[in-house]
Amino acid sequence: MSAIQLNIPNELDKFLPDIVKRNYGKWKERKFHGPGIIEHISETGERVFTVKAALPPNARVSVDTLEKFADIADKLGVGALRITIAGNVEFITDSLDKALKIKEELEKLGFPVGGWGGALWGINTCTAFLTCQIAVIDAPSIGKALGDALKPYFTGEEKLPAKLRVFISGCPSGCAGGTAIDIAIVGMWGAPPKIREEVLPLCMPPPKALAKIPESQVFLVQVCPTGALTLRREGEKIKLVLVGEKCINCGRCKDNCDAFDYDPKDVGAAILIGGKMANTGVGPRLARVLIPWIPANPPRYEEIVAVVKKVIDVWKTHGKPGERLADFVERIGWAKFVELVGAPKMAAQYLWWPDAARTYLTYRARGEVIFKGFRDAP
Amino acid sequence: MAAPPNLPPPDKLLEMAEQYLKELEKGPWPSHVAEMRKTGYPLHVYGVGLVARKSPWGPSAVKAKRLTGVLARIARDWVPKGGEEVHFRVFHTPGRFLPTSYLRGIIKVAREYGIGLVEVVGQTGAMVINVKSKEVGDAMIEALRQVGTDVGGSGDAIRELNTCVGPALCEFALYDTLKWFTEFRKDKKIHDAIAVPGFPYKFKIKFSGCPMDCGRANRADLGFIGTWKGAPEVDQELLRKKIEAGEADPNDLVSKCAGGAISWDAEKKELKIDGSRCKKCMYCIRKAYPAIKPGKERRVAVLVGGGSKGRYGPKLGWFVGYLKPDEVQKGIELVFKVIEPWDKEAQAKVRIGDYILMTGLYQFIEKAGIQLEDTPKLVEKLPDNVPYRVLPEEERKKYAQFAEELRRAVGI
Ligand code: SF4
Ligand code: SF4
Repeated sequence: MSAIQLNIPNELDKFLPDIVKRNYGKWKERKFHGPGIIEHISETGERVFTVKAALPPNARVSVDTLEKFADIADKLGVGALRITIAGNVEFITDSLDKALKIKEELEKLGFPVGGWGGALWGINTCTAFLTCQIAVIDAPSIGKALGDALKPYFTGEEKLPAKLRVFISGCPSGCAGGTAIDIAIVGMWGAPPKIREEVLPLCMPPPKALAKIPESQVFLVQVCPTGALTLRREGEKIKLVLVGEKCINCGRCKDNCDAFDYDPKDVGAAILIGGKMANTGVGPRLARVLIPWIPANPPRYEEIVAVVKKVIDVWKTHGKPGERLADFVERIGWAKFVELVGAPKMAAQYLWWPDAARTYLTYRARGEVIFKGFRDAP
Repeated sequence: MAAPPNLPPPDKLLEMAEQYLKELEKGPWPSHVAEMRKTGYPLHVYGVGLVARKSPWGPSAVKAKRLTGVLARIARDWVPKGGEEVHFRVFHTPGRFLPTSYLRGIIKVAREYGIGLVEVVGQTGAMVINVKSKEVGDAMIEALRQVGTDVGGSGDAIRELNTCVGPALCEFALYDTLKWFTEFRKDKKIHDAIAVPGFPYKFKIKFSGCPMDCGRANRADLGFIGTWKGAPEVDQELLRKKIEAGEADPNDLVSKCAGGAISWDAEKKELKIDGSRCKKCMYCIRKAYPAIKPGKERRVAVLVGGGSKGRYGPKLGWFVGYLKPDEVQKGIELVFKVIEPWDKEAQAKVRIGDYILMTGLYQFIEKAGIQLEDTPKLVEKLPDNVPYRVLPEEERKKYAQFAEELRRAVGI
């Protein structure tokens, strides 16, 4: 068969459990039975109970564990489970009794049951040091450290005003799911990248060709959004140079060429607050930078955990019931929020940039001067 | 990447790596390290990365009969004992429902040809399965095909599509997201664009059943979100009952309505909603369902240009019009309409959202030939920082004519 012919699982009929098929599109009510158990009631009178459990960071599961999941689903569920986009696992069953038993079994295996309502719904992390070559910090281990600290918010021992989700991305590419989330932690290089001259030729046109093509046609010059990468002539030689002041650590050069390197001592994380996707409250929005850089110290990342806990505390203490972090920040104002968290005075840019661009990645086209304010701000 | 400075000698490095890994197995949250210990994953490489504070992986390649969905890494030369990591992106089922029979099939493949590790949902929405070694790649693809799935969706192609759970488990779904999802995947052109990379950059398509956007469609390159026109529907009788039973609070509905659209007539015990002010925030609906339901005039809002990666940073999508819940085919056509100008004009590694920023939304809509219900046609707020532009001759003529008419009208 040719390489292009894919065998994609498409048949709804084959993959939906029977009870779901019978009630497809007929749901009319939902009830919560403590953290992590939801009941859906259908017009037909049938009820489906779903039990949600957290998976390890990056949703990495061994086949041994998956097999145990399958056993639970066969024994107590309807012979099927579901993986959510948040990297949680959901077991489907037809009675509360069985749902409670599933919860028990999952907890025995070490998978906390929770989420839904005023709780932590899950922590998404990208793969970072597990497989990614351009990751700046390791997202899964941060996810683990944060999960350990925030577990009571997931399992409901401690209540939150509303839904909370956390995304951890190893670099500005944001593979954990972008910054439209309550709390986003993003790896930052801290300082402009260093160019490894010995690797660079692999990503550049050969010298003879380079002399003939205009600068704007050189791929690496193209990918840099701020014009930090330019060509300089030194006699006969043409060199790629990096103007540190213009660089905003977006990592696009590194995405496209292995010659861009960084020093681990500069590396840290940015913490962004108040994004979300749902149209509730103030509507969908990207998160804003609260902390442009703090150290990321493996394996327990105490600094990051502390900031996240502080943010949650502020929201818990001052937020109204049902108020997502984004709505809360909107109501009290960003300046007040920053003050409550006690964050250091931040660069003005982070305060006044419009919605569409309220992130650490705020920048404009090549040649514009906005980046200057970024670097020069106190 | 180069070795980080001051790296301890290999023995010490591996020892420290093990300490870090052990630390990550403690605590109440499920541990990825504990899971990976049960598999053939080269944990020491990961541990060394943590100690070195630098990704231990470098680029590698794998030969497999697939153009997309196959990724390989090799440990950097400063990682003692080295290591290799090859993984495949495997398509998920609609709504990510996994019948145990199917799941056991996947488990078997991951055990036989893989290292026994599955990332049950990667951030693209696909499943990620590690391969034992590069050599068994093709065999694994064959085995996966037997189970009923395949490998694909990476690089500059359409990626694994994404959807919320939709009508399968949610009462709020305003259109059949799972049906759209499967219809899209079955379409020959989309299917081929998933298999073969050929665009300037990646292209993601996502479906969400309602404005809660659980499928995160608002940050897809092309997103479809279920919504309705006008006011939510109110069953006054049912609502009164709910209020009497203490299940709904009219004052709460009034005060928390995002659009300020709701008013409560305490005398008549009637709830009124002004459809023109409703922002479709779903608050009233979630609080008083099914006494308050989404309006009957269902639509699918189409958003273009969202994404977290790209030249101009993260962005949410732009609204470009409505489709009706049964217009799946139109949705599929739209994919290629939207892609065309971007594919033709954008530089490499420019996401469609960045391209739209450079082109301007209205120009883009014109170029792509998007003509849907309520497609925005006019610049509502004129930019005040771009005063001049080059005009085509006919436009200059238009203005000359306008001046001429004006001249006559005022009698100069
Ligand atoms: S591409 Fe980004 S990280 Fe690289 S030099 Fe330019 S601004 Fe800096
Ligand atoms: S959906 Fe939201 S904006 Fe619309 S009427 Fe209900 S509460 Fe108000």
